[in-house]
Amino acid sequence: MKKIAVFLICTTLSISCSDDFVDVTPPYSINSETFFNSEEDFQNALIGSYDVLQATYVNVIMGEIASDNVNAGGESPTDVIGWQQVDRMIHTPVNSNIRDLWNFNFAGLQRAAFIIENKDNIEFEGKDQIIGEVLFLRAYFNFELVKWFGPIPIKPDGKFELGEEVTTPRSPVEEVYAYIESDLIQAIENLAINSVEIGRVNQMAARALLGKVYLYQEKFDLAADQLNTVINSGNYHLYGTQGDENYADLFEFIAENGPESVFEIQYTGVEGAGFGCLQCSEGNVMVGFSGVRGYTGPVYESGFGFCLPRQEAYDAYTSNDLRRDVSILDIEDWAAETNATYNIGNQDPVTGHTGYYNRKYIPRNNDNQPDPNLTQPNNYRAIRYADVLLMAAESLNRGNINDNLARTYVNQVRNRAGLSDVQDSGSQLLDIIYNERRLELMGEGHRFFDLVRTGRAQQFIDGFTAPKNNLFPIPEEEIQFSQGNWTQNPGY
Amino acid sequence: MSKFYLILIFCFFGLFVSAQKSITGTVTDAVSQEPLLGATIVVENTTNGTTTDFDGKFTLNNVPDTAAIVVSYVGYKSTTIPIGLATNYPIALEPDVESLEDIVVIGYGRESRRNITGAISKVDSESIERLEPQNAAQALQGTASGINVTQQGGSPGSESNIRIRGIATNLDASPLIILDGFEYRGGLNSINPQDIESITVLKDAQAAIYGSTGSNGVILITTKSGKRNQETEFNYQTYVGVQQTSRKIPLLNATEYALLLNESYTNAGQVSPIDNFSGLGKGTDWQNEVFDTAPIMNHNLSIRGGSENISYSISGSLLDQEGIVGSEKSEFSRKTASLSLDASITEIFSINTKLFYAASKNKSLNDFGLGSVLFNALNMAPTIGPEVDNLTNEIDLGNEVVNPLTQIRNTFNDSKTNRLSGTFQSKLEYAKNLDLQGRIGFNTALTQNRDFFPVFDYGTGKVFNRLEDNLVSLGKINDNDYTFDLFNTYQNNFNDRHNLTLMLGMTVFQTKGEGLFGSATGVPSNLYTFADLSLATGSGDNRNANSYAYDVRRLSYFGRVQYSLDNRYLFSAMLRRDASTRFGPNNRVGYFPSVTAGWIVSDENFFPENNFIDFIKIRASYGIIGNDRIGDFRYLSLLTGEATYPSGVDGSLINGVAIGPLSNPNIKWEEAKKLDVGVDFRLFKNKLNFVFDYYLNDTKDLLVSNIPISGIFGTYAPGGSGPTINAGSVRNQGIEIEFSYNDNLSENLKINAGFNLSTIQNTVTEINGTDFIEGGQFGVGQPAPSRMEVGKPIGYFYGYQTNGIFQNIAEVNAHPSQILLGAEAQPGDIRYVDANGDGVIDSNDRVNIGDPIPDFTFGINLGFSYKNFDFNTYAFASVGNDIVRNYERAQDNVNKLNYRLDRWTGEGTSNSVPRVTTAPSANNIFSDFFVEDGSFLRIQTVSLGYNFQENIISKIKLKKLRVYAKVDNLYTFTEYSGFDPTASTGAPIGAGIDFGFYPIPRIYSFGVNAQF
Repeated sequence: MKKIAVFLICTTLSISCSDDFVDVTPPYSINSETFFNSEEDFQNALIGSYDVLQATYVNVIMGEIASDNVNAGGESPTDVIGWQQVDRMIHTPVNSNIRDLWNFNFAGLQRAAFIIENKDNIEFEGKDQIIGEVLFLRAYFNFELVKWFGPIPIKPDGKFELGEEVTTPRSPVEEVYAYIESDLIQAIENLAINSVEIGRVNQMAARALLGKVYLYQEKFDLAADQLNTVINSGNYHLYGTQGDENYADLFEFIAENGPESVFEIQYTGVEGAGFGCLQCSEGNVMVGFSGVRGYTGPVYESGFGFCLPRQEAYDAYTSNDLRRDVSILDIEDWAAETNATYNIGNQDPVTGHTGYYNRKYIPRNNDNQPDPNLTQPNNYRAIRYADVLLMAAESLNRGNINDNLARTYVNQVRNRAGLSDVQDSGSQLLDIIYNERRLELMGEGHRFFDLVRTGRAQQFIDGFTAPKNNLFPIPEEEIQFSQGNWTQNPGY
Repeated sequence: MSKFYLILIFCFFGLFVSAQKSITGTVTDAVSQEPLLGATIVVENTTNGTTTDFDGKFTLNNVPDTAAIVVSYVGYKSTTIPIGLATNYPIALEPDVESLEDIVVIGYGRESRRNITGAISKVDSESIERLEPQNAAQALQGTASGINVTQQGGSPGSESNIRIRGIATNLDASPLIILDGFEYRGGLNSINPQDIESITVLKDAQAAIYGSTGSNGVILITTKSGKRNQETEFNYQTYVGVQQTSRKIPLLNATEYALLLNESYTNAGQVSPIDNFSGLGKGTDWQNEVFDTAPIMNHNLSIRGGSENISYSISGSLLDQEGIVGSEKSEFSRKTASLSLDASITEIFSINTKLFYAASKNKSLNDFGLGSVLFNALNMAPTIGPEVDNLTNEIDLGNEVVNPLTQIRNTFNDSKTNRLSGTFQSKLEYAKNLDLQGRIGFNTALTQNRDFFPVFDYGTGKVFNRLEDNLVSLGKINDNDYTFDLFNTYQNNFNDRHNLTLMLGMTVFQTKGEGLFGSATGVPSNLYTFADLSLATGSGDNRNANSYAYDVRRLSYFGRVQYSLDNRYLFSAMLRRDASTRFGPNNRVGYFPSVTAGWIVSDENFFPENNFIDFIKIRASYGIIGNDRIGDFRYLSLLTGEATYPSGVDGSLINGVAIGPLSNPNIKWEEAKKLDVGVDFRLFKNKLNFVFDYYLNDTKDLLVSNIPISGIFGTYAPGGSGPTINAGSVRNQGIEIEFSYNDNLSENLKINAGFNLSTIQNTVTEINGTDFIEGGQFGVGQPAPSRMEVGKPIGYFYGYQTNGIFQNIAEVNAHPSQILLGAEAQPGDIRYVDANGDGVIDSNDRVNIGDPIPDFTFGINLGFSYKNFDFNTYAFASVGNDIVRNYERAQDNVNKLNYRLDRWTGEGTSNSVPRVTTAPSANNIFSDFFVEDGSFLRIQTVSLGYNFQENIISKIKLKKLRVYAKVDNLYTFTEYSGFDPTASTGAPIGAGIDFGFYPIPRIYSFGVNAQF
């Protein structure tokens, strides 16, 4: 008995530690429950939301590839197969690049929503400005999503929580737009006229985006109001029309965040990046991907040779249009002129080499970090003043509001490109506006959606079938995750 | 009742009738005639007993004439001697070969191999001596069943992937390593193999004593220590060797390359790029350029001995190995020192200390992946000279392929690890049959890295270019942990029939550490000599610093009962309770029970005496074990996401905060239910051992990290990922067979032979929340090739099935269009099977086209010794595993393997190798064209040694002297076309994909072992 007692005592001694021992918080880390307790927390989370804007490079390059402006390009007809399929308009719900677009834009949305759902935690001076910027960002991502996919799930009060993919339906496009409008109207109320810092959203950017959102819904009066406010603010002008500005520099580093920039996505090459996480790059991935393959020569750096303007797009410019050579690089001419050398990748007649490159967004000589193809620092001019003018003109014309003013706006854009005034009005003016939009915004990712919203896509884009191709398919994986909650877009 | 009286009467009667007397005696070893100290002598069925003294003598009083005494001693067969009239009994005990050889550590205790009821494998120091491995893991390769060891690469210092009974997790599948009782975290490569006494592998539910840490199997390493009363013994072992590649891949030479290149352009209707063939000749053989012969050298000195109460062991070793690629740019050196001290402080209190120090240094090349040195050597055009560093004016080889020699020259890195590990153990026998053991084990390691990336232009557009600024990056990681064990053991024997061992205890484990990293551009003179943060000039965004810290804890209680009846009915049961910081608050604590049982049939009375079967044991085990390597704090939503955005006039980066991986508050361990049924035989006077096992392991709650979830949750943001969820189940089952045969055929000729075979059948039985999980990488920009999916083996290859080559346009037209794969087919292209028969060839036609899991593996060893010579050979094989050829860059101008010479060039020319063309084709998508049979048989070691005769070497004061010559990795029989069929990343999903694996070198070495 004594032995048993001793044994038990010794055993008890050894079992004197409690489970509290394993109750620790990870060293030097913050978790979401204890966050949003200071202004700095809000500022930091806001940076997190801005960060995802950089991943929207995919919206731009894939939007361009989807349009009639460019061929997909790349190394071969199977290089980035998702883009090749979009170029041929044979894409299906199984497409990792379309899925990237869905994932990246929802990621930005979710980061903005994280702030919104905690916005009432504390009060401090300057909170309105932060909330205004957040609302803008949420609207921006939502607008991109509705453009690409049509009806999407929405949750105005905060983040999506696990499980909601099987309960939250895809809201009809009208509801999504109402939600975007409400975010932007609130943002406009909250935001200062001027950016608090270069690269940040201001009230005019929110108005410009709201104008665009109205235009997409053909609410021409409302659109014209917002866009006119931006124009009349006097804060912007077309680059190259004042001082020693030179229009040819518009897409060079020197003109970044310049007088034409209403909303500009910031990129930098100071941090390295790899293929493992393209959305993590601080650089503009689109730019490296659009560069001339194996290029050696002055001014530019080499890249992967995607997004190649077509002959037809090149020919759409008149030879006296200054925009042609700013928008499109004729590599053969350039090589002949400068002795530059380069390689040709994809030679497929439908998706391959054209001899032209998207000069607005190909790499310039700079000292970006490796992998240099992924870290090009070129900012994306998401909303340019020229775009604002053309959208305003379109609203004024299509809404039968004021053709004179519309014509003035169009002529401002044309004059800057070295072209003379037009005198047209009515539907002739509208045709001119549409054409100017293509020429002015070539290579910037807008063309496809302009064609779709004006019902002209089937007419211009080979392989396009309306109404199927008006929207892109919801990624197959998402259909599966939703367990029948979301149905595929028609035709896919 | 009557029986009771009878016994009582008998005893009473006996008291009066039998005379009592004192007896004396001597107990000796029957073989060596040496006296045995501490042997137990007990009068049968009484508690009257004594033990022998230093000279083996004993005296025992009050012994009845009619009684018998039982004499026993650990490691010897007990004997029962009837007492007659004599008073002096010289007793010679026969060594018990089984138990002497095989005391097996089983975790918080030991057991004789005879009585083990779980499935274990053991590799002893003799096998290790015969193999002389560079890395202790190699000692398990092919020597024991159920254990699959593959080296992560042939580069010096590569660790090995060890998998016990297949893969049952898609996280870390490596086993738990216990070194002399404590959790060792340095990897087997940091242990000097020559310090190892034995390696025991717990393969089944017996590992449940390790609870949530044991489900990948447990490797228990016991290191050598001195023995009591042993004269000081010096051992010196050394070998030197040269290494060379075991294989080169047949590639096209310059002329063949030019021919095929031109053909590929002509086939696409394009201009041939090379118009002058004369003088091309064979061109540059890039493999010859990068492969070198490289030296390897090892020294080891140990000193061991002991007195009556103390024993000690000291050893030191040095290993230096250069790589067969890149020589001194790929180098490993390891210095180890160990100290072991054992002391009996009092009769009931003893202590034991072991310390291990290892310092390793490593330089490495990019050696396994797209853009590795060998990948470049395989893809470089043979028409380019080895001296061309900048490929700008050469034929376009795409952005990834660069001159591998330049790449080697521009690789600068240095990694150092200093590790001190040890254990302090004490044992208090506080009462008869009771002891309390306390021990503290610890690991502390400092790892330092220095990498330098010089400014260099490999040619326009190359991804390795650093055109503007060089970069130095430094890292310092400090890892610390301790394991504190306290356990209490009760052992007793009742009535000579019931043997009971009871153990209760606890373990506290904590690991903490932190890492500090910094990098800067602007290293002066672009030289590695100056590659330090203090000299680098970069500032602002060109200078970065980062750090991390962790703290992980585990608290465990456990108990075990071992019971045997008549030493032939064996039973054990154990239970462990683990609480861990890694488990979510809703699942903080896990219980891990197991039971084992055995029956030694050959000890039954009914078992006939025979000369054929000496021993049969039937055993079975069943239990639940966990895997806690599930990542830290996955139940908390940490703000670890990347949040950086340029801001301000200068566009400098501002850091913010964002959500990292999504959390899962319910996260818990992975849980394996393990069943094992086995039989052990010893036949022909113990010359032949045979072990058979059947196992069935069902692992549930498999963690799926970053489980695919809807993108709406924002998990694709920078630094984000899906939650880690217990979502899958996997079943592994198979059989294992081990034979070993030892015999002295004559006085001069001894033979030992072994054979083991293991089968694995792996099936994923469940995944919740997603249909499959993808992994691995094939080509560039292609979908992931490997999958985990219900009903299939984990990590199977998912791709297109091919059906020959289109011979003519009629065949193309008769087949559904392949445009969705990238291009319309032409004659000469691969024909893909419309697997789902829907008349469309698209991504839905991908099917299971192989898996990297072998159907069975086996190992063979054979050794002879004849007079003073000894000869040993080891071989192992893997059959039925598939491997993906992924080192051919799908680019028009890169060099190609010479099987391409058999390409399709017109109707009827080939039905297996497609045409060469630069035109769009779908020939390079992931299909069974790239999947090969990876079966192989490798002759791992052949050695021949000579032992000098004692009378010769004693003149130079040596006790033993052996010299030997040895070849490692002598030859591999395989049909696989790559460097090495063992190529694998070891990732559960994504294994068996060969990116141009650094082949395991063939090593010719010569060695000396001396004892003095």
